[in-house]
Amino acid sequence: MKKLLMLICVIAISCEKVELLPTTSLDINQKIKSYKGNKVVLLNVWSLWCVPCVEEFPMIVDLAQEIEELEVIFISADFEDQFNEVRSFLDRNGVKEVSYIKQEKDEAFITGIHPNWTGSLPFTILYAKESGKIVDLWEGKESELRFRTAINIALRS
Amino acid sequence: MKRMLTPILFFTFITAAELEVGSSMPGMDFKLKDISGKTMTLADAKGSQGTLVIFSCNTCPWVIRWEDRYVSIADTYTSKGIGVIAVNSNAARFDGDDSLEEMIKHAEKNNYNFPYVQDPRSQLASEFGATKTPHIYLFDNNDVLVYRGAIDDNARDARSVEEPFLANAIDQLLSGRSIEKPTSKAIGCSIKFP
Repeated sequence: MKKLLMLICVIAISCEKVELLPTTSLDINQKIKSYKGNKVVLLNVWSLWCVPCVEEFPMIVDLAQEIEELEVIFISADFEDQFNEVRSFLDRNGVKEVSYIKQEKDEAFITGIHPNWTGSLPFTILYAKESGKIVDLWEGKESELRFRTAINIALRS
Repeated sequence: MKRMLTPILFFTFITAAELEVGSSMPGMDFKLKDISGKTMTLADAKGSQGTLVIFSCNTCPWVIRWEDRYVSIADTYTSKGIGVIAVNSNAARFDGDDSLEEMIKHAEKNNYNFPYVQDPRSQLASEFGATKTPHIYLFDNNDVLVYRGAIDDNARDARSVEEPFLANAIDQLLSGRSIEKPTSKAIGCSIKFP
């Protein structure tokens, strides 16, 4: 009985783990396109080591939970050997949706995500709901106001 | 309103523009505090054949993974006339992890064989359009930018590098050839401006 309970606990805990998938810029761009006409997409590239990324992360999770028509795509730029740490961080921060970890060489990934991105973290792009076009993008940590303003424009564009 | 907002937002994405290849070295006379205790400028760091400016810091994991190559590149190319300098522009952290004292310890621990300076108020980083660490700028002997970007294509492991972007650029510069790949990109930590 004790063993059965332990097994149930293990299954329950493992079920709570967020799905973390290796990805490339090509895969992400296809995924972003799939939301055109349906949802605003907020793409955020972050890393465990990046203090500003970690600081703004919970605010983005809250926005994702609050705004129904917003799809947040998080991509971790951490090294592959930090896979488990990344997943634990996502769990701790209440991420429920599938999340991603970069599995592509830096240059191809950066250029594939956006040619204006220099590679500095965090990096955020907002895609319009209807047109799917980029309405704003920035490098570095930003205020909740900047996020909300961009999201509101993206909802109307 | 929508019509007015859309084009404005579409063209104001990223304000900090990286220095373009072909540009002259900016901020050559800016006063920089070196870990030796002296004040120096980029002009003081220039080599007879060219100058390598590395925006760096003490704690960024990408710096930590790449900085063994700072040392090997300086080892290989200083004697061939390339001046090397690392610039810490994390002004917001000069009273903490990126203090001069911490920079001295960091340079000793990692066997830095080049000047490692503080950029007060991150002014040099702003002039260069540097956004992250490491961020690499290579100038020729006329102080013209010939290469900008990453050290190579593998932060994690020097032995697994497939494209040594910077070493290739320096070799081409020293042999008088044009630089085949004048820019590259890599992930890095954001510079902590004041």
